[in-house]
This record gives sequence, C-alpha cells and structure tokens, in this order.
Amino acid sequence: MEQFAALMRSKDRQPIRYLVVDDSVFARKNVTKMVESFGGNVAGEAGDGCTAITEYDRAIPDIVLMDITMPQMEGIEAAERIIRQHPDARVIMVSSVGYQENIVAALQKGAKHFVQKPVKAEVLYEVIKYVMGEDAVAVEGAAAGDSK
Amino acid sequence: MSFFSEERASELKDLFFESATELLQALNEEGLELEKHPGDPEVVRQVRRTVHTLKGDSAACGYSELSALAHELEDALTPELAKQQGTKVAEVVLNAADIFQHMLNAYRTNSPAPTGDRVLDAIHALISKPGPSLAEPVKSAMKAPPLGFEWTEYEKMVMADAASRGLKVIQLSLTIDPNCVVRAVALQMVKNAFADLGTLLVVVPDEGAAMDKVDHISAALASSFDEEYIAKKCKIPAVISDVKVERYAPPAAEPVSANGTGEIDHTQNEDLLGLDNQLDEAPAAETEVGSASNLISAPESTLRVDAEKIDAVLNLVGELIIGKSMLTQTINEFDKKFTKDPLRAKFADALAYQARVLNDLQKSVMKVRMVPVEQLFRRFPRVVRDVSKACGKEVILEVSGQNTDLDKSILDVLAEPMAHLVRNAIGHGIESPADRIAAGKPKIGTIKLNAFHQGNNVVIEVSDDGRGIDRQKVVTKAIERGIVTQEDAARMTEGEALNLIFHPGLSTAEEITSVSGRGVGMDIVKSVLERLKGTVVIDTKVGVGSTFYLKVPLTLAIIKALMFRVAERLYAVPLSSVLEITRAMETEIHRVDQHEVIKLRDQVLTLVRLNKLVKSKSNQKKIFIVVIAIGDRKFGLVVDKLVGEEELVIKALDDHLVATELVSGASILGDGTVVLILNLNSVVTRLGKSSADIDEQLTAGASA
Repeated sequence: MEQFAALMRSKDRQPIRYLVVDDSVFARKNVTKMVESFGGNVAGEAGDGCTAITEYDRAIPDIVLMDITMPQMEGIEAAERIIRQHPDARVIMVSSVGYQENIVAALQKGAKHFVQKPVKAEVLYEVIKYVMGEDAVAVEGAAAGDSK
Repeated sequence: MSFFSEERASELKDLFFESATELLQALNEEGLELEKHPGDPEVVRQVRRTVHTLKGDSAACGYSELSALAHELEDALTPELAKQQGTKVAEVVLNAADIFQHMLNAYRTNSPAPTGDRVLDAIHALISKPGPSLAEPVKSAMKAPPLGFEWTEYEKMVMADAASRGLKVIQLSLTIDPNCVVRAVALQMVKNAFADLGTLLVVVPDEGAAMDKVDHISAALASSFDEEYIAKKCKIPAVISDVKVERYAPPAAEPVSANGTGEIDHTQNEDLLGLDNQLDEAPAAETEVGSASNLISAPESTLRVDAEKIDAVLNLVGELIIGKSMLTQTINEFDKKFTKDPLRAKFADALAYQARVLNDLQKSVMKVRMVPVEQLFRRFPRVVRDVSKACGKEVILEVSGQNTDLDKSILDVLAEPMAHLVRNAIGHGIESPADRIAAGKPKIGTIKLNAFHQGNNVVIEVSDDGRGIDRQKVVTKAIERGIVTQEDAARMTEGEALNLIFHPGLSTAEEITSVSGRGVGMDIVKSVLERLKGTVVIDTKVGVGSTFYLKVPLTLAIIKALMFRVAERLYAVPLSSVLEITRAMETEIHRVDQHEVIKLRDQVLTLVRLNKLVKSKSNQKKIFIVVIAIGDRKFGLVVDKLVGEEELVIKALDDHLVATELVSGASILGDGTVVLILNLNSVVTRLGKSSADIDEQLTAGASA
C-alpha cells in the first residue's frame, strides 16, 4: 500500500480538517478513508447541499470536498453559498466528467479545484497539497492511521 | 482499489453492494416514472443523478463494465433526448437497470460480468435517431500550439503595451495533463490560478473556443512574482502536466514556434468512429419479462445481522417474560404471608425495575426486525409494468399503507406469493382493453396493494378491478379433474368453492398462461401463508374484481405515534399520517355546508372536532390543529393539548369488548396509562355524519 506523508496545517501542526459532501454514502466513505490516509480528519459529512452549508458553519473545515450532483441543493450552489459566507473557504469540487459547464461555473464562483471521479488517492493528495499551498506541510513518517 | 488494504477494500465493497442495490431500486422506480411522464426533464435529471452515483461508486470499486455502461447511459440521458424519444428512453433505462442487476450479482459472486452490449446498442440507437448531429465528430481539431509562443499581432501589442508601462510580463505555455478530460475546466482552473498571480493579459484559447481538442494553453501575465513561483502555482496537479514560463522581453525577437503541428487528440476521434459503427447495427431493445422475477428474488440486505440471531434473542426475551410473571406470582404470595415485612417494598421495586428493562429489551428486539412494507411493495411497479406489457393489457398500480411495519422475515417470504397474485391478477383478472370498454369499465385496469395493522395481524390486500373469479367455472373444473365429487360440490359454500383455486391440481389448469405458468401456483400462495401461520381470504365479484387478503400474524407491532389529549383523554394517531401541527384562533373558523373549515396558507382545511366524540365543548380561544392526510385529502383534527411523540406497542383490542372501528388499537404507556390509537379513516368519515353513538363506543374503548 502506498504511503503518504501526512499533511499538517502549517500554523499549528494539527491534522487538516475536511468536510466531505456527497449523496452517496459509499463515495463519502471512500473519500474519508483517503483523506485519513493523508493524516487528515473528517470534521463533518453531508449528503446534500443544505446540510453541507450548516456543517460548514459548524465545523469550519480547512477543505471541503464537494460532489456536484446531489438532491436538495446541488454542489455548485452549496459551494457558491459557502464561499459567499466564507471567502477563505477551500472548496474542491469532486465529480465525474459530463458536467463541464457546472464545474466551470463552480470554479468561476470561487471553488479552488476540481477532482475527477473516480477519485484516485495520489491525485487527491497532490490536489490537496496544491490547494493548501503554504498553509500545509508534509510531515514524513507521521501518516496517521496507516502505520505498518 | 490497490490503494487500500484487502480488508478495507472488502468493507467498502460491502457498502457498495448495499448502496448499489438501493440505487438500482431507485432507478427502477424512476424508470417507471419516466415511462409515465416521458420527457419530464425533472425525472430525467433524477435518473441521470442515480446513474451518475452508480457510475461513480462502481468505478471507485473497480467494476469497469458497470461504470462504463452507466457512463454511456448517463451521457445519453438528456431532457432533449427524452422529449424526442418518449417512452423508448424509459425502456432503455429499465433494460439497463436489469443489466446492472445482473452485473452486480456477478460481481458479488466474483463471476465474470455479463456483457452490457445489448443495452449499449440500444443507447446508441436512441441517441442516433434524432439525426447524426449529436454524434458528428468534430473534424476540425484545433491545431495545438507546442510548448512555444506564437502570438497574433494583437496579442503581441497587448503584451508590448503592458511591458512599456513598466509591468513585468510573463509568458506561459501550459500543457494540459492528458488525464484531465474536461479541458474547459482546466482552462478555468488556470485562469483562477492566474487571478492570484497577477493581471491576465492574453490567454489562448479563450472562452467559447472548442476546448475539447486543446492540449495547450498559452497566456501572458503581468505579474510581480518571480518565474519560479509562477511555474509552481501553474503546475496544477491532475490538470497541467508541464509548464514553461518565460519573461517577455519587449520588443525583442519574438520566439517562433519550433515544430509546427501539434498533436491532435486521436483517441477521441477513434471513440467517435467506433460509435458510428455501432450506430449502424443498433437493433431495437427487447423487453425481458423474465427479469421481473430476478428482481423479486434479489436480496436486499439492509439488515446486516443474521435474522436467526435476532430470533434467538427474541426467544430468550420471551423466556424472561415468563420468568417475570413467575416472580410476580411468588411475590404476591409472599405479600399475603408477610403483610408487614419491609422486604416487600424492596421486592416490588426490584421487580418493577426489571419489568421496565425487560419491556425495553423486548421492544428494541422487535424493532430490529421490523421493516416497512414499502420494501416489499416497491418491487411491484416493475412487475406490473412487465407483466401487463407481456399480456397486452393496460394496468396501473396503486399502493397504500406502505408504512405499515412488518417483520422482515415475514416480508421476505411474502414476496413470492404476492408476485404470483399480482401476475395472476393481470394475466387472468384484468380484461383486455377492448373487453373492458365493452363491459363499460375504464380502459385501464387497476391493481391495488394495501397493508394495514389489524390487531395482532398485518393484512396485505392485493386487489384488481378485473372480471373476478367465476365460482361455477372453478367448481366445474374441480369436478372435471376429480378433485371434488359432484355431491361435495353441491354442498360447498361460496368460500369453500373459491378456495378450490388453491388446490394444487387446479392451479396448473390450461388457463394459466405463460405469464403465471412458472411453477408457482396458487397452492404455493396458500402453503406459504400457512407456513407463516397466516391466512388468505378471497373476496370476488364476477365482473367487478377480486381481492386477496393475506393476513399474517404479528405478535407486536410498534408504531410511531403523536399523542394528544381531548377532553382529558389520551389519544394517539400514527405519526406517519400527520402532516403538520398548527395553532389557530377560534375566530378564524368558518362554516361551509355544515363543515367547519379553516384557511391554512390559502388552502381550505376541513376541521374535525374530536371533542364532539365525548360530547364536551372546549371553550379555548386558541386551538391546536393536527393536520393529517388520508389518501390525498387533508383534515385538521382539533385537539385540546399535545402530549408528544411516542413509540407505541399496539395491543389488540378484543373484538368482544370493543366493537368500534374508530379505534384501531390501544397501547399501554410506561406509567400504565391506556392510550387509544384512532383509526383516522373511520373517525373522519364518522364525524361527517352526526355522531350520537360514537361517544359510547369510544368511552367503552377507553375503559377496556
């Protein structure tokens, strides 16, 4: 199994906190396992856009991983509202291809990145590293949970 | 899934199968919905969303056949297509759902997945029909610039102008990662990155260009950052694979592209060609009626504990209850012998505590086993559709009472006999459209499924409005086959005669057609019900229709109820029928045709005064209204005081003691209070009339 150097927040060396939004329980679990293997913490989960917004307000995560096609409120709108409320929010859209205009719209509204489904751990890792930029550091040998 | 350990992968796969089964069920329902409302964009979007989730989940699990097919389907599903093709789209969706199901079953057993080619062809046939425009390959692939700079005169001018104003102009050439499929997204992401870095002067290609074939993005930026930082920021993971950053030196020699032609995205063109080939064949999709039975038998395992284990626990709880009553008896005897002994109180306390815990234990074990009948009913829209199509009949399915809770194991066993009854009802009961019109009936037949609690039983009704069962025909056939003698037949009552259809010898009669002739005769229905210690009752009228009542036992049924007080008495209604609770002033009530009504958000709501039942008049100025739904009608129950929600264990009211249909059951609360559970249907219909005798009935119920 591939090992990732744990990504920690630069300011306090604490695990990065995530909000995972997807209407599929399976997809949430899948992504959760990935970010945990990056040493992150899932601070909240949501199955639809409305919940995502309240969960963001509650948890104030470092990164939001947001699915696009969801019931109640689509990911784009949820992302837009979160970013309007919290301009610093780092929202990464996660979806399959085929929603090209939607993804572009989300990016225009301030989403930081887009990851294509099926999510590959290596890609997600790089994307998170990129999106966190200076605010995260990789700590070798401190991968949470996955120690051999 | 190589990324995760074996253990984790298998855990995820379990989760996948579970959610995929639910998704498929949803897909089936949505497919049927689509058939009913072809071209409804909202339904199409729903289907698309479901297929999309299925695609994502299966791809993450590495089930490529499923995800590939789901991808094709998702791509094809557009509201425009649904509008053009009408019900054909629903047909394809349902066929695809079948294939998905087969694939899932194959994955589950680790056997090779069946091919989805047939559905794939159908999908392609579907999108090809409106004309080739949809699949027309874009021949004019954009000539992609290499990793060099090739600016137009205008762009050069913009850059030179910026540079002359003292800005540091950086030229960038970015290669889009071949794995990044959505080029427009790449462009937007690059633009976002630029926005953080400085002022964007030019970017090629710009918005609106055919992005699909673009491999490179060239841009010029006015920025104060150094080249290295810009390069780092522009190397967006998964999107940009290579970055070339150069400071623009005005008006020095313009870099000229070294190698002329860029790479055209070959793979995409090949895809399109391949699609063209498939379009030529494109045979029409056939419905597979047999698939309905596969759906019936597909396991739905939201319950992840072996049911036998729960049974064992429940048995032990039963033993404990017997033990408890033994203890109670012993203590009663002890009480009589030692009336003054202080130990008595201690015993009583301990016993009461134990009883409470025991009660909770029993309740929770029961609850584990209970699932709404909906799980069973939801399989039937598909069965009805397939069978009625095969028989050339038009049938709609009406379902009610799906929130009735039923023991999971009973529910599973009921699936097969119910499916048989439904098939029979369509095959034999419902007449062909022509016959129906001739008989003065609506052209479209109706199959109704209903479920409700009746004391300690759950009754499931399967009814049709078809031709009914001709008793005489049944008897004649039975005599013909030597099942009964002529003399016996003459003595038979109506019910006995009808019950002959459950005889194994009769169910294989020639009138059973291909639809129902699958070895599961009416005798199976009977034997399954007997095994469940239940009964099946037929009610039929020639020319009007038949109803089968499947009555299965239920030692305890638990419902969620809303409790309230009317005239100091405690009543409950099933929470599932409560829509909302609102308050109103007495002055807001109006009278229309003997009915009291109130205007609630611009809708007129008929009020039902429960205190009429007990002949008391409340003089509250402010009233509580519990808004309930019966079918698609709404009523407002006027109550004095709301008590709260509670999970109630329904106890049957013995018919001899309480002969009222106003109460469907009673329950005992933790403190021993009896609460009556109202049968809303009867309450509302009764209160429409003047209600003199209701009072006595309810009072009798409360004191029972």
